Amino acid sequence: MRLLLGLVSLVAFGAPTFETDVLPIFKAKCLACHGAGTPQGKLDLRTSEGVLQGGASGASVEPGAAAKSLLMDKVVTGQMPPGKVKMTAGEMDQVRAWIDKGLQAPMKVAAVSEHEVRGIIQARCVTCHGGLKQMGGLDLRTVESRLKGGKSGPALVPGKPDESLLLKRIVSGEMPPDKMAKELAVELPTDGETEKIRAWIASGAPGAVPVTATPDAVVTAKDRQFWSLQPPVRPTVPGGAKHPIDAFLLQKLKGKGLGYSARADRLALLRRAHLDLTGIPPTPAEVDAYLKDTSPGAYSKLVDRLLASPRYGERWGQHWLDLAGYADSEGFGQDDGVRRYAWRYRDYVIRSLNADKPYSLFLTEQLAGDEMSDDWKKAKGVASPEMLDRLAATGFLRTTPDPTNSAERGLLGERMNIVADEVEVLSSSVMGLTMGCARCHNHKYDPIPQRDYYRLSAILQGAYDPYEWKTPNKRELDLALESERREVAEWNAPLEAEQAKLKEALKKATAPFREQADAKISDRDLAKKFPELVEITRPIERDLQAVRQKMKQKPHVRVLMDNEQPSQAYLLRRGDPVGFADPVEPVTPLLLEHPALAPYKIEKPFDGTSGRRLALAKWMTQPNHPLTSRVMVNQLWMWHFGRGIVASVSNFGRSGVLPSHPELLDWMATEFVASGWSMKQMHRMMMTSEAYQQSSAVDESLTAKDPENVLLSRMPMRRMDAETLYDSLLTAAGRLDTTAFGPPTDVDIREDKEVTVKATKEGLRRSIYVLRRRQTPVSLMDAFDQPSMTPNCTERRQSNVATQALHLMNGSMAWELSKFMAGRVIDEADGDRAREVALVYLRAYGRRPNVAEAKLGLETIAAFREKWPARLEKDNSEAPRAANAKWLAVANYCHAILNSAEFSFID
Amino acid sequence: MKTRRDFFSSVANGLHGAALAGLLGRDLYANSVFDLKPKAAHAPAKAKAVIQLFMNGGPSQVDLFDPKPTLTRLAGTAPSRELSFAISNGDKPGVLMPSPFQFKKAGKSGMDISDALPHLAECVDDIALIRSMYGEHANHEPALFLMHSGRTIASRPAIGAWVAYGLGTENQNLPAYVVLDDPKGLPINGISNWQSAWLPPIYQGTRFRTEGPPVLNLQPREEIPTPLVEAERDLLRKLDSAHQKQRPYQPELDARISSYELAARMQLAASDALDVMKESEATREAYGLNDPATASYGKRCLMARRLVERGVRYVQLYIENQIFDSHGNLEASLRYACGKTDKPVAALLKDLKQRGLLDSTLVAWGGEFGRLPISQGGTGKAAGRDHGPNGFSVWMAGAGMKGGTVHGATDEIGFKSVENRVSVHDFHATILHQLGLNYRDLVYERHGLKERLTDQFPARVVTEVLA
Repeated sequence: MRLLLGLVSLVAFGAPTFETDVLPIFKAKCLACHGAGTPQGKLDLRTSEGVLQGGASGASVEPGAAAKSLLMDKVVTGQMPPGKVKMTAGEMDQVRAWIDKGLQAPMKVAAVSEHEVRGIIQARCVTCHGGLKQMGGLDLRTVESRLKGGKSGPALVPGKPDESLLLKRIVSGEMPPDKMAKELAVELPTDGETEKIRAWIASGAPGAVPVTATPDAVVTAKDRQFWSLQPPVRPTVPGGAKHPIDAFLLQKLKGKGLGYSARADRLALLRRAHLDLTGIPPTPAEVDAYLKDTSPGAYSKLVDRLLASPRYGERWGQHWLDLAGYADSEGFGQDDGVRRYAWRYRDYVIRSLNADKPYSLFLTEQLAGDEMSDDWKKAKGVASPEMLDRLAATGFLRTTPDPTNSAERGLLGERMNIVADEVEVLSSSVMGLTMGCARCHNHKYDPIPQRDYYRLSAILQGAYDPYEWKTPNKRELDLALESERREVAEWNAPLEAEQAKLKEALKKATAPFREQADAKISDRDLAKKFPELVEITRPIERDLQAVRQKMKQKPHVRVLMDNEQPSQAYLLRRGDPVGFADPVEPVTPLLLEHPALAPYKIEKPFDGTSGRRLALAKWMTQPNHPLTSRVMVNQLWMWHFGRGIVASVSNFGRSGVLPSHPELLDWMATEFVASGWSMKQMHRMMMTSEAYQQSSAVDESLTAKDPENVLLSRMPMRRMDAETLYDSLLTAAGRLDTTAFGPPTDVDIREDKEVTVKATKEGLRRSIYVLRRRQTPVSLMDAFDQPSMTPNCTERRQSNVATQALHLMNGSMAWELSKFMAGRVIDEADGDRAREVALVYLRAYGRRPNVAEAKLGLETIAAFREKWPARLEKDNSEAPRAANAKWLAVANYCHAILNSAEFSFID
Repeated sequence: MKTRRDFFSSVANGLHGAALAGLLGRDLYANSVFDLKPKAAHAPAKAKAVIQLFMNGGPSQVDLFDPKPTLTRLAGTAPSRELSFAISNGDKPGVLMPSPFQFKKAGKSGMDISDALPHLAECVDDIALIRSMYGEHANHEPALFLMHSGRTIASRPAIGAWVAYGLGTENQNLPAYVVLDDPKGLPINGISNWQSAWLPPIYQGTRFRTEGPPVLNLQPREEIPTPLVEAERDLLRKLDSAHQKQRPYQPELDARISSYELAARMQLAASDALDVMKESEATREAYGLNDPATASYGKRCLMARRLVERGVRYVQLYIENQIFDSHGNLEASLRYACGKTDKPVAALLKDLKQRGLLDSTLVAWGGEFGRLPISQGGTGKAAGRDHGPNGFSVWMAGAGMKGGTVHGATDEIGFKSVENRVSVHDFHATILHQLGLNYRDLVYERHGLKERLTDQFPARVVTEVLA
């Protein structure tokens, strides 16, 4: 040691030293927070030992490598010091030089806790020696079970590392066994980890210290006073307007010397309401009926009628599926495997919305449907519709890409990524919090300590145990409706009989050969021995294969469910899957503790589940929860009005945008809860406001006074989103197949790689029922900004790019639909040319053409017609040439109308 | 991160200028408008454009760029436990296997280069070779995601999308980020390789097909005669302009009309950019267009030059499925892969140089990982090498690269990167740096997070390879 110290000082001679070159800088810039008392992030910069020791984010420096040192990263990027006073370039150079040349790596080995060892064992051993499996009778999860050992005797001899099988087997390379480790996606322990296990055993294998919920200094009382963390209090509605929403909005507008714009044209409002609530434009009959109803309540009757339409759930279901990040595929690799039963969750969402299920129940089922009752554990194959719905609801937290069916893609890091994605879905969609950054360090803007991230993550780790992992295939239950099972059984019965017959034939064909060989010989070896046998069996095998392909798979349901005994969760240093720091217990973020709020409390609902998610649901659906109701009404508001009252819809924190109308938000949040969490009631409330019924026209003075329309001095004009455009094209053309629910319709990948949708007998199904495979989005919707679910989408973005024009102008879909639409229009108009033009307008725009438009339509169709015949002579079409030319001329007209701005924009 | 002021300076002279001028000083959080107009870089840029030559499958470093005499000395010996564990699931690890290729010193720099790459050997004084790359995953899919987007998962924007977002593009009639994939089929991970993920979709890579019409639906439907196409366009213009007149001060409508105009212009611009028949016979010969072995890749290399010449910002080339994935028949399969690509790649470098474009075009060559120094799948000629993410080679040329440099080293058998290790994040940071972009400052706000290409991982610009 003396020699070593001598060496250190020799090396360091002439090099920068901590005391003279660095400490003065730290004193001036860092020690206020990272000094005496409770240093922030547990990082104490007063001594070089402290710098080396690091803090909650792990080592702060890497001796000899300033460029890779966290401390330098923070300083160079200006993240640290936080305030206005930063380190100067000269100071940075000095610190850099010290890390590169002056600092020596420490020689001592720190004491190792049981918790850290358990983390290592969880990462490397418990897949085979844990709760789900105990190979060799060995369970390595606790000190007691290690002492007890398995068939080969105790795994642990405290104080004697070299006699402890746990260590010996690792050191010798026997454990984990190479082949099995690969099959089970386990990585080998690193040398550092092996040394930690050795050190822990050598120090007498001390037991675990109970995990205490130490409050983090990061969250202060002042932090908890932030507006979005206070339970919403119902404000008094200001006077001066009939409708509460208008009362709040007009108050602000008047403050700026503004008021509402004029009421929208009746038909513009009709189209707006249809597209908004059902995602498809009104039919000509609906237009006429609405025009005829001149009663004062006509509009609110319209809203009620649309809310009662089965199309409502299909439209708003898509909004919710955006939040959840729904896709029909696992989303990885070349084949992007289809998630066979994902659609049950999609159906659950649509049904729930149509039934106006209270949001509190809707959320509870999605977070913890499996924990609400244990009826499914007792069910044998057959599920009631309610049971199946509750289980399918857990699909909410099963949406993100999960490649772990393949062991090679199922390593610990990937599993952690899946858990992290689910945390992101949960926090961004329904909590309005951005938790993602706290995975690697304390949140920079919001008082969310890294510990809180892992506590929230631990709630999900009951079901997503990264150490004793369940692959997607293992997360399916053999449960289905009686009718579904019967349908498959009936379909398969004759095939099964055929299969049995073929198997018998195979046996018979093989028997004479088998007699000549060893009775125990495998089929493959038998075939090798008698090549002539293959000639006989091949056709039978082929038939068998064909029969098997015709058979339907037994219907299942995908469920998120807990492991019996979830592993210990940890705070992971810088998000490193094996960077085990303190153990953490499942609990909701400290920031959200409030005296008026019942704390998160786990009560095990039944054996075999932890109750963590059910407790989360209970905590979140408290009537006065500060975020749950606010975040949801804000989402509803954004979908209706184009912008959230909190514009950053997934971020209600300090880095988010403050609400434009805080009282209105709170009034609606409390109204939402008081209405029994009824979403339909909120739609009705928003859509019957005068604000919603305004025109979208703007003039110069409005753009100057309310440029972004934050005050809602008008309704925003909007372009249809991808799904609305797709569904509206189908509706206008008369090609919409309204068949609801069930497995999705497959897509077609054309030779030129355009992805289109396969037609059914009745036409084309709505976008929400089309297979949503991550690798093959439908080209048209992809071009119009249908989001890729990475992992979810809380807010749609819209672009205006040339590829959209190319798709609508030159793509096959718009043209085929135009021809279809032309056929419908011609049939319906029955020779009345003016009626043809009127019908095109009614179907596409939801209004009749004015005189000039009608004239232009008639003239254009006639001109188009003149241009077609020359071409048609070349075709071998059976149809009379004149009729064909007329049809195609109308098709061209429809094509232009479907391409026009008036079709895809909503006034 | 672009400041709001930068943002406005970039849009103010654009389409939305008039309408947006009044928004200065307002928060734009909810309804940001994104475009592809050229944007100022963070610092003076060496590169105006990037051509990334992606070598799918994982080219073998010890057979192409990183000679290992020790491997010859240890030929036939058994590997360490760590090295044998690196072999894929279910396969028996082989023995240490020397390269069947000969290395020669090339150029003034005397860079060692394999005889599998005779044409590139003529260009070594223009390339900076990094021998110390390392990745994180031994499977194609995650490794490809890492090389493209900085993470092994399928949910982040590709580097080309980041560049298009940060810099926009010089030619508004062509996409900013063009992908030239192999007509034989999409690479592994398909279109996800050039996705924009949560960046706005206008930044995702546009596939230009190198056979037939370059963009999906670029040309009007054949079944509709040209006079009707024109007449229909005429009607559409009338409808849209009447619609717009009744709705003033709606910038979205202006944008839409101009997107239809751009679509029409793109039909011409894209067809022209990809028409290699406009090149001289000598040029086509140089790129190998007359030889069936090199014709396909040569055509894409030549198209890449024509695209950067026209101001396209990022061009990414792929090669048929897994051509460098030499699991068996190492020598034959590598000669096949190099035979297809070596001549076109060298021709591209020479052509860019001769036209004065190499100074402003960064060419990057490499795959998703390298290969192991042990044999796999047989013995003798039949043997191949398995995936090796722990140490591999890539090179960059042009746009401020120090030609003739060799940076970093693997261990003595070429298994692991040990000296001056370069991570994928370092590689990305270096490409951005040459474009004048600082990887720390190129950020996109999402859920309150400032996202960047290198995520939260430490990264550094590999200054040692810069001139």
